[in-house]
Amino acid sequence: MSGAAAKGVRQSMAWIHGWLGLLAGWILFAMFLTGTASYFRPEITRWMQPELNLPETSPVQAAQTAFAHMQATAPDALQWYIYLPDARRRETRIFAMPRPNPDPNAPRPKRAGEIKLDPQTGTPLAARETRGGEHFYRFHFQLQLPHPWGRWLAGLCAMFMLAAIISGVITHKRIFVDFFLLRWGKGQRSWLDAHNVTAVLALPFHAMITYTGLITLVVMYMPWPILANYPKPAAFAAEAYGTAPEVPAAGRPAPLAPVAPMIADAARAWQGGRPDSIVVRNPGDAAATVTLARSGNDRLNARGGSIVYSGASGQRLSMSPEPGPAIRTAGVLLGLHLASFAGPVLRWTAFLLGLTGTAMVGTGLVLWTAKRRRPGAAPFLGLRLVERLNIGAIACLPAGMAAYLLANRLLPADLAGRADMEVSAMFQLWFGLAALSLLRPAARAWSETLAVAAALFAALPVVNALTTGRGIVHSIAAGDGLFVAFDLVFLSCAGLLGFAAWRARRQPSPRVRQPRMRPASIGEGVSHGV
Amino acid sequence: MPQIAGHRRVTARLCARSLIALVGSYAAASGLAALFARLAPIARVEATLWAMIASFAVFAAFGLWAFHEPRLGRVAAVIWGIAAASIGLALALGVRP
Repeated sequence: MSGAAAKGVRQSMAWIHGWLGLLAGWILFAMFLTGTASYFRPEITRWMQPELNLPETSPVQAAQTAFAHMQATAPDALQWYIYLPDARRRETRIFAMPRPNPDPNAPRPKRAGEIKLDPQTGTPLAARETRGGEHFYRFHFQLQLPHPWGRWLAGLCAMFMLAAIISGVITHKRIFVDFFLLRWGKGQRSWLDAHNVTAVLALPFHAMITYTGLITLVVMYMPWPILANYPKPAAFAAEAYGTAPEVPAAGRPAPLAPVAPMIADAARAWQGGRPDSIVVRNPGDAAATVTLARSGNDRLNARGGSIVYSGASGQRLSMSPEPGPAIRTAGVLLGLHLASFAGPVLRWTAFLLGLTGTAMVGTGLVLWTAKRRRPGAAPFLGLRLVERLNIGAIACLPAGMAAYLLANRLLPADLAGRADMEVSAMFQLWFGLAALSLLRPAARAWSETLAVAAALFAALPVVNALTTGRGIVHSIAAGDGLFVAFDLVFLSCAGLLGFAAWRARRQPSPRVRQPRMRPASIGEGVSHGV
Repeated sequence: MPQIAGHRRVTARLCARSLIALVGSYAAASGLAALFARLAPIARVEATLWAMIASFAVFAAFGLWAFHEPRLGRVAAVIWGIAAASIGLALALGVRP
């Protein structure tokens, strides 16, 4: 390729990079930040139910107590669903699907909701109602929009992100030189350096998390290969992942065989793997089946496969087929995105890389405005709009997330509908603060909204100590690592946001441009053809 | 007012280009993925998943090229052409027996 052609590619890619990043940036920032928090989804839920402090329980004991509870409360159900606890999620979750009434005119049986059990005793747990970490996780790919629009919008933004990563790599000819450059206090140049460092530092992570994010919902985004090969989409799932046969009830009662030998047999078949869920079909019937699904927590592949046992005899009936390379690849891509396999060190690393991604998107958005600001000239409408949206997305979202957690502590524990109120607290504070910031000059609005976010995070350990018996002093004394870690993370967030507020105050805006230092490859509009 | 007319024309061409980059590239990537899944001489579940896994890279490549190539007519012809040909062929072949 000639030098001129290479320059042409870089210019067009720089132009695309800037616009893709701007169009999807605000949503991507929120997806990155809440997705990063979701690495600790079960831990956030545990923090948000401080009245529960369950020890870790073996899957065998949890399965036995859950079976006993189901036997007593729903012996005639069509199916039992049992989600077993593990080291991070300590409670058993169950629900029973009732047998449909054979009379077609009878009212449909009410579907019982999910119940949380103490895995040691099998008794239902009572705790404050909350979405917990599930809220950040769901928001991260559904964006609190009606189904399926949130998922489609998230997928579109992820596609923009993928194209932005590719065009960004092509744009930066000096990618490894940029990696070592971070010049503070130089206005636009510093934002560019910060954007490059955060992007290049974790480039493999950004590329991986974006592509695997698309893969998590690939069946929704790209169903056409399935439709080209299977008359019914369900046939694809059955062939790819194996589904338990729907054996009708025999009509003869038979007691359920004990579950412990089934779990032991599955552990042998999976070379030490453990089940994370159990589905019992037709319990108490001679044709009952017990399906054990393998947990993906002990390896990269998130799709573990399953084994079906006869409920009456306890004999193994069938095992999901050994997956081929494509199925394993898809399972590993899914596993990489969810990071369920990650131990504490890797999980914290992923969390920090996620924050790096958030910072990359955030600095990119700020860079868009820094690059277009002319000294002495009044900012044009688009610039003012982008700046305001930047403040609302970058500074106000963390404040909203802190408000969600604060609401969990401040709303009465037995209040009806409190789970929804916690969620509304996040959006009300986020959008309310963004609206309020419109009343202030932009430079002031940055530091003030960041300071509010810092103050809300700083308040979390205090409010936690005042409203629960699990404040930091008690947690340190009790060796409660989870609660200590949360308080430390809240204080770190407060410190980081406070530092950002202080920097934003110090740097007067508009900044002085230094044209001599502007690299030729970055960001000039490409007008050819359009 | 030639200037405003020119501005409108640029905007219209940019809109057309964006539409091809987004919708056309998705259609082309979908058609190629369906065709690969249908025709690849490997187990159909494997062919299906490989096509799905790779489709996003194909989509991104078409989308980026749509903005890089200066001639709008060529962009439209290539991307819509691939989309129409691959989707048409996949439909003509029908579901794998």
